[in-house]
Amino acid sequence: MPELTQNIGLLSPEFALAGLALGILAIDLFLPDGKKQVTPWLSAAGLAGIIALSLYMLWGRQETLYGGLLAVDAFSLFFKVFFLGLGILIIFTSMEYVDRRLDNPGEFYGLLLLSILGMNVMAQSRELLTAYIALELLSFCLYVMAAYAKGEPKSNEAGLKYILIGAFSSAILLYGVSMIYSSVGVTRFADISLALGSAGDVSPALWAGLALLVVGLGFKVSAVPFHMWAPDVYEGAPLPVTAYLAIGSKAAAFALILRLVAEGFVPAEDLWSQWQIIFAVLAAVTMLVGNLVALAQTNLKRLMAYSSIGHVGFLLAGIAALAPSSVLASNGVMLYLVGYSITNLLVFAAIIAFFNLTGREEIVDLAGLADRQPFLAACIAIGFFSLGGLPIFAGFAIKFYLFVAVATGGFLWLAGLAIFASLISIYYYLKVIRQMYIEPVPEYVAAGSEREDGIVYEPEQNLSPSFLMLGVLAISMLAVVLAGVYPAPLLDLIEAASQAILPGA
Amino acid sequence: MVPLAYFQLVSAGLFAIGLYGVLARRSAVLIVMSIELMLNAVNINLIAASSHLEGLANFAQFDGQIIAIFVITVAAAEVGLGLAIILRIHRNRSTVNVDEIDLMKW
Repeated sequence: MPELTQNIGLLSPEFALAGLALGILAIDLFLPDGKKQVTPWLSAAGLAGIIALSLYMLWGRQETLYGGLLAVDAFSLFFKVFFLGLGILIIFTSMEYVDRRLDNPGEFYGLLLLSILGMNVMAQSRELLTAYIALELLSFCLYVMAAYAKGEPKSNEAGLKYILIGAFSSAILLYGVSMIYSSVGVTRFADISLALGSAGDVSPALWAGLALLVVGLGFKVSAVPFHMWAPDVYEGAPLPVTAYLAIGSKAAAFALILRLVAEGFVPAEDLWSQWQIIFAVLAAVTMLVGNLVALAQTNLKRLMAYSSIGHVGFLLAGIAALAPSSVLASNGVMLYLVGYSITNLLVFAAIIAFFNLTGREEIVDLAGLADRQPFLAACIAIGFFSLGGLPIFAGFAIKFYLFVAVATGGFLWLAGLAIFASLISIYYYLKVIRQMYIEPVPEYVAAGSEREDGIVYEPEQNLSPSFLMLGVLAISMLAVVLAGVYPAPLLDLIEAASQAILPGA
Repeated sequence: MVPLAYFQLVSAGLFAIGLYGVLARRSAVLIVMSIELMLNAVNINLIAASSHLEGLANFAQFDGQIIAIFVITVAAAEVGLGLAIILRIHRNRSTVNVDEIDLMKW
């Protein structure tokens, strides 16, 4: 069948990425113990090369592969470059942590690269099985990475909870796929929308299938009421993995949901108007529960987990507002994903740098940080102001755009609720900022101490974050401010990407 | 030919048994086994549907069978990973009872 191998060259970034991941694993095997630090540099250089390759090969292309299973268009290119770029920054943020605390660094970066491959394919897939396989490639890597600190019971527990809930949710998702397949006989998003549009009265089996599919995806993005795994996994996993979970896996899952909904649900207009309500209710519950429960948290990672659940609520509100004739909501979701990811990267990079210095991760440990490590305190403060949605930072621009899109999409009440939820979120962000700027420096800081993890920390005033961390922090801080004051060039790219999945607009 | 609905009933029953197992069992290994039951319910559903749906020419539509093969493969990998993590927990804490694995609670 010639149609299968046609255009196969367009997949070369994926082939290169798979080769790079396996290559890193192989190189790691043969490197002597003292030389393993080159693997992250190699991975980052490889990722940079693949970004260049993707841009060179795929810019402006609009084609499909394997008879329509994968799409090469502006949408997938946008997310591909975005994921690869995030991958580089995540590698730089994790280097010091992985070097000091985790065994087998080479395998860590190999898994990270493989999971990026999964994310890239997720953004391109236009068919349920392809999407599922890509999703599992991403999830499997994340299960292992969550349990990566082998000797730490908390990390083990995070891995166990993640894999049990993850496997459970994929079983639900797959049962949904099988119901859809047995009632309409197709699995491509576009064919599903045709079947939905022509069916008139949708059969209960098809409804159940679609519902199970949404429930499965809800587990993956940790939408309430399917969120109970997220806080535990975030808290137990090693910090760079938590950062990656909050940033990468969420963005990839939303790239998939965006394409699934835009190509599979939205064209069948009558049915979509019923589904919009379901997504809107899911969004409302998610943003309220996430933000309210975050108020009670004392651990930084758990706080970030609930805050990310709240942000998933906002993103779902954008999904609910998708319409066949307008790209506004789809633009809003993509802009939000980008802004949210870079802001979260800034916050997590600062938390990781703080953890590298002190080995602590409770909110009370941040007391007096503005006097101890002014730059880190400023980074966390800017990140939290941005997550809360205050102007001149990315958070304001993305929230403004998304909420306007939700309101014009016919969900004024949801936009109002989202603004209310943002207000709640500012309270717990400010609580952390108060710890850093108003509380006095605790006494143990000056003394230097041995922590539970057995590492002896020097008195903190002699320490400063590594140059690499400072670099990542500076870059992401710049990006947060830039996306806040001048999002127009980014929005142009996003506009083109939206048009690829919503051709009617 | 046995009607499709019979297969779907068997599949739904198996899925329900698996679901019950995940919720009621306390041993992590048995939870993984229950998840396998759910995945096999999916396979029955897919293969039955694919042999009942019309495909090209005289053939039944075989998409469902292909999906089932992928599902079997992914399930095998999932069990391998799950057991590895459970084994690691057993070494560190000498238990695989999910009620006792509760260092973190909401």
